[in-house]
Amino acid sequence: MKILVGYKRVVDYNVRIQVKPDGTGVVTDGVKLSANPFDDIALEEALRLREKGAADEVVVVGIGPADLTAHLRNGLAMGANRAIHVVTDEAVQPLTAARTLLKLVEKEQPGLVILGKQAIDDDANQTGQMLAALWDRPQATFASKVEIADGKAAVTREVDAGLEVIEAELPAVITTDLRLNEPRFIKLPDIMKAKSKPIDAIEFASLGVESHDHLKTTHYAAPPKRSKGVMVKDAAELVAALKQKGLL
Amino acid sequence: MTSPLDDLARRLPGLRLLTEPGDLEHYGRDWTRRWTPAPLAIALPATPEEVQGIVRWANEHRVAVVPSGGRTGLSGGAVAAHGELVLSLERMNRVLGFDPADRTLTVQPGMPLEAVQAAARGHGLVYPVDFAARGSCSIGGNIATNAGGIRVIRYGNTREWIAGLKVVAGNGELLELNRGLVKNSSGYDFRQLMIGSEGTLGIVVEATLKLADPPPPAQTMLLALPDMDAVLAVFGLFRERLALQAFEFFTDVALRHVLAHGAQRALDGDHPYYVVAEFDAPDEVARDAALAVLGEGMEQGWIVDGTIAQSEAQAAALWRLREGITESLAPHKPYKNDVSVRIGAVPAFLHAMQALLAREYPQFEVVWFGHIGDGNLHINVLKPADLADADFIAQCEQVTKRLAATLKEHGGSISAEHGIGLVKRPYLDSTRSAAEIALMRGVRRVFDPNGILNPGKLFADD
Repeated sequence: MKILVGYKRVVDYNVRIQVKPDGTGVVTDGVKLSANPFDDIALEEALRLREKGAADEVVVVGIGPADLTAHLRNGLAMGANRAIHVVTDEAVQPLTAARTLLKLVEKEQPGLVILGKQAIDDDANQTGQMLAALWDRPQATFASKVEIADGKAAVTREVDAGLEVIEAELPAVITTDLRLNEPRFIKLPDIMKAKSKPIDAIEFASLGVESHDHLKTTHYAAPPKRSKGVMVKDAAELVAALKQKGLL
Repeated sequence: MTSPLDDLARRLPGLRLLTEPGDLEHYGRDWTRRWTPAPLAIALPATPEEVQGIVRWANEHRVAVVPSGGRTGLSGGAVAAHGELVLSLERMNRVLGFDPADRTLTVQPGMPLEAVQAAARGHGLVYPVDFAARGSCSIGGNIATNAGGIRVIRYGNTREWIAGLKVVAGNGELLELNRGLVKNSSGYDFRQLMIGSEGTLGIVVEATLKLADPPPPAQTMLLALPDMDAVLAVFGLFRERLALQAFEFFTDVALRHVLAHGAQRALDGDHPYYVVAEFDAPDEVARDAALAVLGEGMEQGWIVDGTIAQSEAQAAALWRLREGITESLAPHKPYKNDVSVRIGAVPAFLHAMQALLAREYPQFEVVWFGHIGDGNLHINVLKPADLADADFIAQCEQVTKRLAATLKEHGGSISAEHGIGLVKRPYLDSTRSAAEIALMRGVRRVFDPNGILNPGKLFADD
């Protein structure tokens, strides 16, 4: 079985996001970029399935500008067999991403697509669901455990009431939750080996994906700063202050 | 007749004083556990004037004062075991100002290092001195010990980053030292004298810190190596070819303790030595160049295995393997050696030390780690559970004498960054000559004629 893994690059989770002064976006120059953490979990899960014998090929997919290659190399160093790079300088919204993935799915015919449940940059949480609908295949979202047997995926999901186990006929789309696994460290020899693994570059325009954006971002702004606290002398003053604010 | 403490409370009515047994124990010791805390009381001044008032009072009553920061010290420099007044600066913990033209941050001494670093980042700059105790240690304590840490190969010690100090000297005078000047050729630089003086000359009440540009994005790696010679060879290779920010080593024994303490394993298998290194990786070119260097190291057989962090979270996990060592060893009451030699003398000294320790400590577990890149080695000897504390220390002290002699041969220092305090006091003369120590005592008498500041630390009182 072949597994397709979405592998998006985002501003590192531990970087404090700064909004550009003109409000047109967030600062990414000189900022550490890393794999979307949920995508690292997706890739880790695919690699584990391959190691268990449930899959024989893992393909990482990235959509982005030319320099995304380095990021895809990390996915290869982590253990993916090969990578597909859909080259575009435009930011891609979830529906466009899902349509792009569908084109690749039609070409690659994977038995399973594993995506992060969301990317930590836009937090959209839509691509996996949209892909499943466009592909007309089952979806198992927010996976915290995945087992493959007899052409089916048994997926445990963390829901409000506890754990829910659903079974999906393959091919299917699985999206990963945080507790699914802990991604491995990349070993040096594998980084060296990754240099010779293939990356197929495909021009976005050549895929024929309809890509008009449905959403327009008008403005970015940092959350308002919390104003400083006020010291009160005694309980009476506290009560008076609360009353004045209409809180008592 | 009123007691000295009553007199202090009368003279400084707003001063916060603690005398509860729990407080006396908490504030009376540092990370060493060899001495039983027994301070007279704890004073928590809020202003330089209160500090000055305390020092004047101490001079009148001849009460010893132990200046106190985050008490993360490992040499007993902040221990109060003989009825001293502990002067804790923890309430003086605010930023006083930022000067964008000078690129300096002026802070109070009780600020934790981590808070100083965060304040600098808030202005788009960095305060680059850094080490594992950052969350608890204070900048005042860093200054008192000339703290070093994990970025010394790039940025040097605390000494390099102090533009000015306000100090209450042992005689009660408030001194303003260097006032943030970059160039000041006007005689003795008392600011530098205060740095590393371990609270024996004065109490820092305000510090003006230099700030630096943030370093370019870095990559963090963990390497597994077969032996100490490989560690040194890899350091030589990296120093020549990479823009190193840090180069730290530790042994398999250290790793075992850190993993048992809950750190995440990053490499499979057991290897005798490990290195955590960080280098500038601003772009793809730099990262490729680094890979080529790593490839050479592997071909030479110096690097057996390794990993490069792919995210800040992974980088933090790798750093925890190095930074978590001290904490993971604490339950084993380690006897700590913190020594340094010139970088060029590291190989010869290391071989001599390894032979010495194998000969003298065969019965003890010895944990090596340190900075290599700046010639600083931490050698921790762990106490066997069935050996009494006093016997253990007595046996270790015997070996320290030999270690000190070896250091002297190699021109090294018995204290690289922890300070002399109480722990290394008997061995000061392995590093400093009799003439130097006599001058140090003389300097102390000038600043603190009555010897009230941290007596017994650094050297025994006359």
